[in-house]
Amino acid sequence: MTDTHRFNRVLIANRGEIALRIQRACRQLGLETVAVYSDADKDSRHVQEADIALCIGPAAASRSYLDPDGLLLAARATGATAIHPGYGFLSENADFAEAVEDAGLTFIGPTGSSIRMMGDKITAKRTMLAAGVPCVPGSDGPLPESPDDILALAEKVGFPVIVKASGGGGGRGMRVVLRAEDLIEAVGLTSREAQQAFGNPTLYLEKFMQKPRHIEIQVLCDTHGVALWLGARDCSLQRRHQKVLEEAPPPGIDAAVIAEIGERCAEACRHIGYRGAGTFEFLYEDGVFAFIEMNTRVQVEHPVTEQITDIDIVAEQLRIAQGDRLSIRQEDILFRGHAIECRLNAEDGATFLPSPGTVTRWDLPGGPGIRIDSHVVSGYTIPPYYDSLIGKIIGYGATREEAIARLQIALAEMKVEGISTNIGLHQDLLANPTVRKGSMDIHFLEKWLEERAVP
Amino acid sequence: MTGSAARIPAFDTDDIASIADMLVQAGLETFELSGPDGARLFIKTSQEKPQIETRCTPSLPSQETDAVDNCVPVKTPYFGVLTFTHPLRSTPFASVGSYVKAGDVVALLTLETLQIPVMASVDGEVIEITAPEGELTGFGTEIMKIRTDSDA
Repeated sequence: MTDTHRFNRVLIANRGEIALRIQRACRQLGLETVAVYSDADKDSRHVQEADIALCIGPAAASRSYLDPDGLLLAARATGATAIHPGYGFLSENADFAEAVEDAGLTFIGPTGSSIRMMGDKITAKRTMLAAGVPCVPGSDGPLPESPDDILALAEKVGFPVIVKASGGGGGRGMRVVLRAEDLIEAVGLTSREAQQAFGNPTLYLEKFMQKPRHIEIQVLCDTHGVALWLGARDCSLQRRHQKVLEEAPPPGIDAAVIAEIGERCAEACRHIGYRGAGTFEFLYEDGVFAFIEMNTRVQVEHPVTEQITDIDIVAEQLRIAQGDRLSIRQEDILFRGHAIECRLNAEDGATFLPSPGTVTRWDLPGGPGIRIDSHVVSGYTIPPYYDSLIGKIIGYGATREEAIARLQIALAEMKVEGISTNIGLHQDLLANPTVRKGSMDIHFLEKWLEERAVP
Repeated sequence: MTGSAARIPAFDTDDIASIADMLVQAGLETFELSGPDGARLFIKTSQEKPQIETRCTPSLPSQETDAVDNCVPVKTPYFGVLTFTHPLRSTPFASVGSYVKAGDVVALLTLETLQIPVMASVDGEVIEITAPEGELTGFGTEIMKIRTDSDA
């Protein structure tokens, strides 16, 4: 990326809270915004407030937010010369990133080849091993052909093991194997499923960590060789591989341990010439970090890192895409206080089924240390076509206890009517003794939900 | 449709008629062919009622009828710069007061070299143009109202 790629009008190829978040960052940097939206999102807040708003298709995401040709035509028709993909939709689509750059526009994110490298789990893991990032012990490549070789490999790694599809992700295409006698059958099944689901039967194998936490490292890299790590987040509270509540820093992990893994991630970024924002996801158990995957985009939970570092990650993405040098140095980054994010979903509190509809009351909390990122306003109708995230409440405090206390007050103040939300779930979680103690593993939330479902 | 030809013996009137039909189907207004001997075939088509096959794509925005006065809005099937007149013609596809048939092209959306026709979904009289010409227009925008035949 060179100075010829400087831009002053950004097309936001997303919707909901992240579209508004990106629009705010653009405004802050004096950049004009183009909101492209589907027919279902015409009343959305960022659309109403954009410099230019253009409806590009019907509600179906395949004909709007997931339509690469339509997005490129819209960029040229509106004079936007950069595209911010947000998260989800086309944000980790290497072909789209390349098409944007081939059209002479700036893709606000990494290169297509970086996205492609991290999208293939085997390549990603090999790259990380080569760059010195710790990975789960395992096959470090595709499984061998012969059942005897597979068995020998699994014995060496140690049972239980997990068999995973190279093209998988998000919790799909994987199978835990507890005993040697079940291994070969599990490999056959997973391979067939992987072929059907991802068109790629390639598998790899890893040691199955039984009670890990989900810890991730945020990185920011410019196009001048500077790579920074912005601390860690704990995203262990998950349901069906969807994060529910995230925090920074991870409770109970020594800052020096985070610093060491953080520096390795930054070094890996320098090694592969990564640019933009990214996240290294790890499982963490008994003091050991094991790389799972890298997300090559901004994440939903980025605000907790922003709160403890005072760095605006989305604004930095825009500056990096302009070709600017990062003005922050690693030694300038201080981690202060504690931040927790509750993802607000429009969903039924008991069944978790989506609850679209018109929001008739939307009373927001406030006070010190409370940040709300949401596109919802009173009277807004949540369309049924997309995910159920309606916003995020982020509580910040000098300590974890203070952040929790502020969040509890905020959740109690928040009044939403017309739709169902998971505010009650967050209140119960923040009152739970295990959550208050910290250090929950990734299975905690699902087990806890199962237990409390029993009358 | 009118056609005229000058001293091109290879074409008979049936040939010219079928070429003219093809031009109409393709939405072209004029066709000119010159030979080395000075022969020239010039066909000008009148497209007041182009016989274009109706293709209502399933994702077309809903064209609900207003029960009170039988008014049906015409909505854009894509986005682009809106024009009500073909760039090679001087009269609009369908001006207020004109009568259109379902499938008639009533406007064009232009994006670079791409031209996307906007078609009427019903037979009726154009009673109002509701979107400005020459502007970038989004998907699903109402651009005109058509009053259907009351006994239809």
